[in-house]
Amino acid sequence: MNEEFEPRIVAFLCKWCSSAGSDLAGVSRMEYPSNVTPIQVMCSGSVSPLYIFSALNKGADGVLVSGCHPGDCHYIKGNMYARRRLALVKNLLEFIGLEPQRFRMSWVSAAEGLKYTLVIKDLVKELKPLGPQTKMRRKQ
Amino acid sequence: MANIEALRQEARKLLEEGKVRTLIGYERGPSPWVSSPVFLKSADKVETLIWDPTCVQNLVRFLVDDKRRQAKEREPDKRPVALVVKGCDSRAVNVLLQEKFIDRSQVLVLGISCEKTGMADAKKLAKALKSKKFLAVEFGEGDTFLVTTAEGKVSLPADQVLAERCRECKANVPVISDVLIGDKTKRTPAKPFASVEPMESLSAEERANFWKEQFDRCIRCYACRSVCPMCYCEECVVDSINYAVTAETSAEEKAQKIRWIERSSEKSENIVYHLVRAVHLAGRCIDCAECERVCPMDIPVRFLNKKLEKDALALFGYEPGLEAGLPPLVSSFKDDDPQDFIR
Amino acid sequence: MKKTGVFICHCGINIAGTVDVKKVAQGAARQRGVAHAEDYVYMCSEPGQNLIIKAIKEKNLDHVVVACCSPTLHETTFRNASQRAGLNPFRCEIANIREQCSWVHRDMDKATAKAAKITKSTVERVRKNEKLEPISVPVTRRALVVGGGISGIQSALDLANSGYEVVLVERSPSIGGHMIQLSETFPTLDCSQCILTPKMVEVSKHPKIKLMTYSEVQDISGYVGNFKVKILRKPTYVDPAKCTLCDECTKVCPIVVPNEFDLGLTGRRAIYIPFPQAIPASYTLDDKNCPSMFPVACGKCYHVCKPRAIDYDKKPCVEEIEVGTIIVATGFDLYDKAKMAEYGYGKYPDVLDGLQFERLCSASGPTQGKILRPSDHKEPKEVVFIQCSGSRDPENHCAYCSKICCMYTAKHAMLYQHHVHDGQAYIFYIDIRSGGKNYEEFVQRAVEEDGVVYLRGKVSKVFQEGDKLKVWGVDTLTGKKIEIDADMVVLAMAMRPSQGAQELAKKLKLSLDKDGFLAEAHPKLRPVESVTAGMFLAGAAQAPKDIPEAVAQASGAAAKAITILSQERLYHAPTVAVVNANLCTGCAMCVQVCPYEAISLDAKGKAVVNEVLCEGCGTCSATCLRAAIQVKNSTPLQVHEMIKACLGG
Repeated sequence: MNEEFEPRIVAFLCKWCSSAGSDLAGVSRMEYPSNVTPIQVMCSGSVSPLYIFSALNKGADGVLVSGCHPGDCHYIKGNMYARRRLALVKNLLEFIGLEPQRFRMSWVSAAEGLKYTLVIKDLVKELKPLGPQTKMRRKQ
Repeated sequence: MANIEALRQEARKLLEEGKVRTLIGYERGPSPWVSSPVFLKSADKVETLIWDPTCVQNLVRFLVDDKRRQAKEREPDKRPVALVVKGCDSRAVNVLLQEKFIDRSQVLVLGISCEKTGMADAKKLAKALKSKKFLAVEFGEGDTFLVTTAEGKVSLPADQVLAERCRECKANVPVISDVLIGDKTKRTPAKPFASVEPMESLSAEERANFWKEQFDRCIRCYACRSVCPMCYCEECVVDSINYAVTAETSAEEKAQKIRWIERSSEKSENIVYHLVRAVHLAGRCIDCAECERVCPMDIPVRFLNKKLEKDALALFGYEPGLEAGLPPLVSSFKDDDPQDFIR
Repeated sequence: MKKTGVFICHCGINIAGTVDVKKVAQGAARQRGVAHAEDYVYMCSEPGQNLIIKAIKEKNLDHVVVACCSPTLHETTFRNASQRAGLNPFRCEIANIREQCSWVHRDMDKATAKAAKITKSTVERVRKNEKLEPISVPVTRRALVVGGGISGIQSALDLANSGYEVVLVERSPSIGGHMIQLSETFPTLDCSQCILTPKMVEVSKHPKIKLMTYSEVQDISGYVGNFKVKILRKPTYVDPAKCTLCDECTKVCPIVVPNEFDLGLTGRRAIYIPFPQAIPASYTLDDKNCPSMFPVACGKCYHVCKPRAIDYDKKPCVEEIEVGTIIVATGFDLYDKAKMAEYGYGKYPDVLDGLQFERLCSASGPTQGKILRPSDHKEPKEVVFIQCSGSRDPENHCAYCSKICCMYTAKHAMLYQHHVHDGQAYIFYIDIRSGGKNYEEFVQRAVEEDGVVYLRGKVSKVFQEGDKLKVWGVDTLTGKKIEIDADMVVLAMAMRPSQGAQELAKKLKLSLDKDGFLAEAHPKLRPVESVTAGMFLAGAAQAPKDIPEAVAQASGAAAKAITILSQERLYHAPTVAVVNANLCTGCAMCVQVCPYEAISLDAKGKAVVNEVLCEGCGTCSATCLRAAIQVKNSTPLQVHEMIKACLGG
């Protein structure tokens, strides 16, 4: 377990809540680790399981999907489908032996800049001791 | 024991009356422990139809191929196809109806009940007979199989030689049929998801090691995909080079093809293929286990689908293929769907 | 090779303080397809934008990426600049390297590496962006208002007075809703009919309002700006142009049925006018209760009608209209007394609900304004009013509070005391909710001036004993059980969405909330809009409310409708979903998940997207197993390229 190991994380943030929450963290000048590269999607409901598998296949050490709280989805119910779909994805990844910490889903609203920061910090902290993700990564 | 004569009689009637285009059933294959699909167009061949514990194929897959063939006909024969289905297979018919892939009027379902037993697993049979050669396997009385060897007949308890998936079967009686042959009594499986539970109790490392061995072996022959009735997509999302390029395919469409994974059968690429397939079959796979049967590398492909079937029931109360009017698993949700995994 | 231009903003030191912008620009320049990369101190400034315009023109750029602050701030700025330079604005994308990078990290190396990844990933995305033009559709400058109560009337008048044609559809023979049944309204105690009838007359005379009473919405198709609605016009068999309201017909009609307007307290004839001030001012022949018209079994009304207004040969007809927006104001009904087991299943004649008591108070009501017991027409000396009957009861009835009952019960008690000077009103309550303007003072008046006795507690049982109604309740403030031998009991029944509202909502594809009321788009910020574009909600159909709120909401709904009707064409963002019919198998999963019902199956069974309704959320795309439906400029291929870039690939 390399102390210098910095996990590379891809985060899918929904435009209206989580990305806005992330923006708020920025506006408030909160600080969090730089391991996460965000990809903005319109809605957490538009995150296909393929994105998550592909990120892991390309060497991501962790994947985060973050959307609006139930009932607050800008597109009314996209996050409800995400919740169902990604529960199956999470269970499947764990079933084949991927460490459960490597895929995470969170609800972050546009007002929760602090929560976003804590989610990132927590995620990085959990992933550091696990080292690089090798179980699904494509050989370089 | 479901009466094969009753089936043959029905088949004869349908074919004589010209009610169906083709009748797809089982016939004896090249050896006593293998059956083959048979496509009957006339009543004089109905005697070839068989029904015994070797009738393991899911014939519903042929509806997929049939649809493609019909689409190419200039003047397609509008009569339905008659299909012999077991309980598990009948659920596949429901899923195809649910997804509007086929119209109810296009298939005549000849349901046949497995009654108290099911399909025999060839390896288990060999073990039970201590590798003695067997000449025939038939359904016995109650929950037994009757095996004919050179020395005579042996009765084996179903428990000993039943295929793994039949031990977890929830629908030994077809849930949809136009004609139903055999007893309607349902057999409740002792432990519906017994096969996945040992896996779930292993540690992440142990699981990873198990699956590493499996995915390493996969040669991406796509036999599992080819035999699955639910894998009827024109183009497989993870294997987009498969797509038939016609004169009408625009440059944009060709440019839109995504290479999610490489064609090489590297473990990492195999994993994505299998995971995507499992997720796409969530709420649709009815555990006919054909994928596992046809795998040349003996990979327990069925486990992935069974795990998601277990979760679909435990988390969302969903059971695929029990009725055609059910909304698909992933295009519906409940307000109280579990979300403890979301922090 | 398509050419991309990359512009990195310093944003003063906001970005440049933590991110080495020059390094990011150099890295971008080396990326494939990038023909131009530069950095500048304030990209959003005039000179900054000019740099972009210059580069687009000189280098013939096909796409532009601006790495700067959050797109919520300047996406429009840079897209407009691109458009001025002749580049399709949808080919300009923003990479957020400030709020999501420079402002949240301190280590310059790490922040720069991340900014480079974000920029690179945005470049990969924009390279696949299509040229898009905003979608526009024409607008039919006419509105439909469903429901002729106070809310429907108000909306119709606001729309008509703004110059738009309105069709007002009401299923009963007259407009007026429940408000016209009321005697006096709180907190002013002014006469309900006196304030409502002028509005009703205005509706009938307004040149822009087409009134369709005794009519129902049968079918609807289309989408915002372009709805086609089929309306069933039921025959009244009486020509309103000829009817003089002489009332001779009712004198000879042999049929008597319960009068809906008086909630069964009186009867009416088969030919009737619901109330004297009905609009349209005409009688109606109820063909369900008339003995027979084919052949004519009775015919008495026809013979006495001097103006010859009656015509038994009238038939129902369906009228099809085209409208741009629809306002649904179908109002409420009271929860049925028959459901209250504890209060007698509605069987006792002297146990009334609020609307029935209202009719007793009304001067034109069944007892000409005298408060009399329905059973023996004697004046009740002890009347018990029970609040929250059916409301605030999640275990047995409705969980919610019906909002108006505290106020109208106080009003009823006051009116009773005014009518019966030696009577005593008791009100059993749980809380008193009197939050509106002058409402609290009104309730205090009932206590202080009219001597109404308020008892805090629920009533467990009401039953008949002789000619009295025994009321068993409790006064929790003294802790004592209370038993009253009442002459009359009035139940403040819960407000429910009106009968038939659910079926109508299905036809209009409007969603209902958990209590059956019409669901608003957002409970706080969008209370008069439904999720369906072009359809608005007003009045008690959306939630229990009183008259001032209903009127306010009706005007609000009209204003929202006008935002659509006032436009020549409706414009819609073009980042919508599109179906590849070759891949689509018609499983309709996308149809089921679309929150806007924007997807349907065409004649060949393939999915097709209504671009005007699609909001581009992408839920369909993630649900489709075959990637047959994708959102323009947010395709899975683009996400795939972005993932690769984010991981340094």
